[in-house]
Amino acid sequence: MREMNWPPARGVEGTRIDRPRLMARALSGRGSALISGDLEAAIVALAPGAPILGLYALAPEGAYALRIARDRALLVTPAPLGAADGWREGWCATSVDEGWAAVDVAGPHGPFALAQGTSADLAGGSPSAALLFAGLRCLLARTQTGFRLHVEAPWLEALLIWLDGA
Amino acid sequence: MQIFPCPFCGPRDETEFHYVGEPKARPEPAEAVSDAEWSAYLHLNANPKGASREVWLHMTCLESFLMTRDTATNAVLGSEPFTRAAS
Repeated sequence: MREMNWPPARGVEGTRIDRPRLMARALSGRGSALISGDLEAAIVALAPGAPILGLYALAPEGAYALRIARDRALLVTPAPLGAADGWREGWCATSVDEGWAAVDVAGPHGPFALAQGTSADLAGGSPSAALLFAGLRCLLARTQTGFRLHVEAPWLEALLIWLDGA
Repeated sequence: MQIFPCPFCGPRDETEFHYVGEPKARPEPAEAVSDAEWSAYLHLNANPKGASREVWLHMTCLESFLMTRDTATNAVLGSEPFTRAAS
C-alpha cells in the first residue's frame, strides 16, 4: 500500500464490532461541548442537573459531564446543545459535537479489554475521567452493560481497530 | 512500571506523565541578561543525586506539578501542585 493511500475512515454512525464475547458500538446523534472555568455554572446554564463524573463513574442515560481537569470537562448531552461558543460569566463552552466520539463496549470479554487498555486503578477512583487507554487520551465512564470511552474523533478509528484486536 | 501521583487525579501509570525539567526562574529583565546567563538558564541543570524536585506534566489532565523524586533509587517522595509551590 502506498504511504499516501489511506483507507477511508469509518463513519461514526453504525460503526460497531460484533464478536461473540466483545461488542463495541460508536454512539451517534449526541451532543458534546468542552466547558471550562466555573464548571457548575456552565452546567446550570447548559444542562441543569447533569452530574460531574470522575474516572469510571456510572454514566446516566441523560446528560452528564466528564471531568478532565480542575477547570475543564466534556459535557455530553442526548442531543446537540446548539449553544453559542464563547465566554460567559466565569465559564466558556465550545461545541465539539463532531469533534469527540463515544464508544460503548460490552460483552463478557469487556473487563479483559478494559484491563488491557489501562492499568489505572479503576476501583480507587479519580476526580478526572481522563486517562491513557490503549495509548490514546480518552475519557472513561462505566455503563450498565460495560464501559464507555469518549475520544477525540480523529482517534476513533485507531480505538476501534485496537478494540477489534483486544 | 511506576505509579506517579498527580496532585489532581491521584496515582496514575507513569506512561501518562511527561518530564518537563528542573524548576528554575527565567532570568529577568531580558535586555539585561547576558549570553552566558541565558545559556546557563537553558542548558545547565543541578541534576542532583538523591532527592530532586522536578516539574512534570500529567498529559491526560494537563496539570503541571512538582514531583520530588530520588534520582538514585527512582522512589517518588511526593508531589505538589505547581501553583501552590510557585506562590
